[in-house]
Amino acid sequence: MQRVGVFICWCGTNISNTVNIDEVMTAVENMPGVAYSKDYQYMCSEIGQNLVKDTIKEHNLNRIVVASCSPRMHESTFRKAAEAAGLNPYLLEIANIREHCSWVHKDKEAATQKAISLTRAAVAKAILNDELIPGEVGVERRALVIGGGIAGIQTALDIADAGYEVDLVEKTPSIGGKMAQLDKTFPTLDCSACILTPKMVDASMSSKINLYTYSEVEEVSGFVGNFEVAIRQKARSVDMEKCTGCGICLAKCPIKTALSEFEEGLSNRPAIYTPFPQAVPNVPVIDRETCMKFRTGRCGVCEKVCPTKAVDYDQKDQILNKKYGAIIVTTGYDLIDLDYFGEYQYMDHPDVITGLEFERLVNAAGPTGGKLIRPSDKKKPKKVVFIQCVGSRDKSDRGKSYCSKICCMYTAKHAMLLKDKYPDSEAYVFYIDVRTAGKGFEEFQRRAVENYGVNYIKGMVGKIFPTNNKLQVNGVDSLSGEILQIDADMVVLAAATKAKPEADDVARMLSISTDSDSFFSEAHPKLRPVETHCAGIYLAGACQGPKDIPETVAQASAAAVKAIGVLSKSKLVNNPCVSEVDKSICSGCLACADMCPYEAISEKIVEEKANGKIVGRRVAEVNETLCQGCGGCTVTCRPGAIDLKGFSNKQILAEVDAICR
Amino acid sequence: MEKIREEIKEKARQALASKEVDVILAWEKGELWYDSYPAFFTKEKDIDSLVWDSFCVNNLSKYLLEYTMTDKKIGVFVKGCDALAFNQLVQDNRVSRDKVVLYGLPCSGMVDPDKVRTKNLNQGLTEIKKSKDKLIFITKDKEITVPAHEVYYDKCLHCRYPNPVTYDQLVGETVAAEGVLDDSVRFSGVKELEELSCEERFEYWDGQFSKCIRCFACRNVCPACSCKQCTFDDSDLEVLGKAREDSEDKFFHLIRAYHVAGRCIDCGECSRVCPQDISLEKLNRKLIKDINELYGEYQAGLDPSAKAPLGTYKLEDADSFTVGEKGGKKREKNSKR
Repeated sequence: MQRVGVFICWCGTNISNTVNIDEVMTAVENMPGVAYSKDYQYMCSEIGQNLVKDTIKEHNLNRIVVASCSPRMHESTFRKAAEAAGLNPYLLEIANIREHCSWVHKDKEAATQKAISLTRAAVAKAILNDELIPGEVGVERRALVIGGGIAGIQTALDIADAGYEVDLVEKTPSIGGKMAQLDKTFPTLDCSACILTPKMVDASMSSKINLYTYSEVEEVSGFVGNFEVAIRQKARSVDMEKCTGCGICLAKCPIKTALSEFEEGLSNRPAIYTPFPQAVPNVPVIDRETCMKFRTGRCGVCEKVCPTKAVDYDQKDQILNKKYGAIIVTTGYDLIDLDYFGEYQYMDHPDVITGLEFERLVNAAGPTGGKLIRPSDKKKPKKVVFIQCVGSRDKSDRGKSYCSKICCMYTAKHAMLLKDKYPDSEAYVFYIDVRTAGKGFEEFQRRAVENYGVNYIKGMVGKIFPTNNKLQVNGVDSLSGEILQIDADMVVLAAATKAKPEADDVARMLSISTDSDSFFSEAHPKLRPVETHCAGIYLAGACQGPKDIPETVAQASAAAVKAIGVLSKSKLVNNPCVSEVDKSICSGCLACADMCPYEAISEKIVEEKANGKIVGRRVAEVNETLCQGCGGCTVTCRPGAIDLKGFSNKQILAEVDAICR
Repeated sequence: MEKIREEIKEKARQALASKEVDVILAWEKGELWYDSYPAFFTKEKDIDSLVWDSFCVNNLSKYLLEYTMTDKKIGVFVKGCDALAFNQLVQDNRVSRDKVVLYGLPCSGMVDPDKVRTKNLNQGLTEIKKSKDKLIFITKDKEITVPAHEVYYDKCLHCRYPNPVTYDQLVGETVAAEGVLDDSVRFSGVKELEELSCEERFEYWDGQFSKCIRCFACRNVCPACSCKQCTFDDSDLEVLGKAREDSEDKFFHLIRAYHVAGRCIDCGECSRVCPQDISLEKLNRKLIKDINELYGEYQAGLDPSAKAPLGTYKLEDADSFTVGEKGGKKREKNSKR
């Protein structure tokens, strides 16, 4: 006989404002199986938890239902309380009457009825709960960081510092990411390279960090503590061991027509190249699509001039299969394509540039040697218009509804850099709002206005007309209503940030989720900001949402701590809610194995007696360490031979029945 | 048909004599004129009673399930629809291909006894002969010729696979498909229903399902219903009791339809055997049509190594619930320079 104890939480007024607790209590008392019920204002508090623990013992309860917030929030809290009172933690059920009820409804009468239904379902399920004992599984004490920008570098350094091995996989030939392209950084105007390159070197020198540049993660399987990953090391065509980074090949390469990715296409690079002089590793790659040797078979100059015979045209892609305990995703962001923003002339006029292109134009190591000149005629710009929110806070199809967060600050920075270089120049900034929430940010932006005399205009630019070497910017000052015409020499667009185009594929590969803008979703927007819904996979940097450098670095260190939390354990506790096959019913059709996303189901031959003989019969078998308890197999199985422990078909049906009652 | 009857018997005899197979699965004549029921032959001398006539509608492939737990080698005669069924059983891991010898029988259609009765052709019937697209009904004193399509089963009129899609040995000559193979005919019943309002459709199916006496004949005959233990035989199953209950009739039919979805070979046997004339073929064909539209044309039973469209996931699978396309049009970066 099950004795169910039901505990109804008010969640302060979060639940009790919308749900009539007294009415729920009366209904609960009459539910079959309920031996005790109690309501309390904060069930998750110490007093509330003690209430649960004490009554389990006093009233000899053997099943517990807590009607409160989402199980994501406090299931583990109450499971621990139940365990402390000597009850198997899996005998506890949560009825979510907050997120699923009080928070989403206004009608108190209806919400109360729904809360009763949800609680009744949880009671019906709890009665059928079985004791479950989790198993243990070992941990591969090594981390994988995907993406070698500042987020990835910081994460790798922190994990290495804690004494664990880290593999850092970067798609491009060098680590460094977007930060390596930046000139100065707000709000202190220190040089980006000066603070980044020491970290890049640290990462390459660390005995605990292995860099896999020009490499991509191709396949991920397994689970927390035991991920199995295939990494494709693309053929560099240069032997990493032999190359000394002397750079002779770069200078001698006859093909210099490729647009430099690092310079945002503002200059060319040879077919054999390192993205930038401080690249780590300082080993070039051959861009096989551009290289004459690969295209026509003739050339071979780099091979001839290489003093260490490091050039190897026959190098092939290599697949490395490795195991990891934790994965941190730090794949960064891109700027949106501006082809739908025809009014700004970006696609048609070379002097309309993005913020990132501006960074290269003012950078001492950039294509102009730091001379800020117009790409069209190499003349100094006298009047520069900066347009913010190009595609940000834009609900139309061509833009992004969110704020890109970094543009207000970098635009202020750009305007100041311009005025620093050419004090007699004029800077105009068109903005919707100036958002400077951050330490020292407001002061920084005010400096641009007050000390540098940057003209901030609240308003939008309607259209830009190229006329006689100028760009006629037609905008409106929405405060005065005045229509403005500015003959600018250069226009800088603060293009919206966006998730990497391959983010959805990465998410699919890792079984993590993305939001509607393809940024990776954190497990909880406030309380679990660096975790994903997939245990052992963490997020850092702008792949999770637009972010500046300080925030990215903070998140990177946080993700590192979370990963170290996994790596520091020698054993992890398994989720006991895994699938189980009733082999006596199983027909061995293995539809479940085809369906299983974790490859946890395989064929097994069981011996059975039939017609007086022992014969082998094919059935399905679940590998409990691989099973993630998604339940897909249970609904694929026609005869119902598979059940998910803790969520059996019977339990689900009991819940449905209880709700429909 | 009558020409190859002796050839079939000879094949069966030889197969048993040479120990090529331990059992021959074929048809035998019953007591009534329309009775040609499945029979297992293990002795050569019994082969005399083997029959191949216009009433061998029963699909023999499913009877192979009787032999899943033995190491016997079985020879089985398969028509076009039976061969699809065989492949489906192989795909479902219920029959081992290497334990079976398939004798393919091209078939241009089977005769519906009800239609014969309606035309009063069964009085004193001794034999039915086929002549091109006509059937000759022979009695003691006369011969009556009727167009074959007037007496064939409805399901045979639109048969798309009159010749077996798989076999080890073919007996007789292949035949041409005689029916109208156009999908618009195949799915016309489904399309009519799709045009009804939600309420009208509910009313239609309510009327159909409430006729059900839960005899399970549709399930028992279905080559896709091959589970070791059917979920409807689970005494613990709380959705199907003994008592007559409208909602449970619906549960039964909808669960049945979904259990065979993506694996239904569209042989029409369920409708044929239904004593209550429930239009099960429309339900099955609705699912076939949806699957074809969502995941591309798929004919269950054509390729035993194919993956069932509803049991697997492909990146290019339809995401009809995702609204709109993500991202904008791509143009080459910095193409202006």
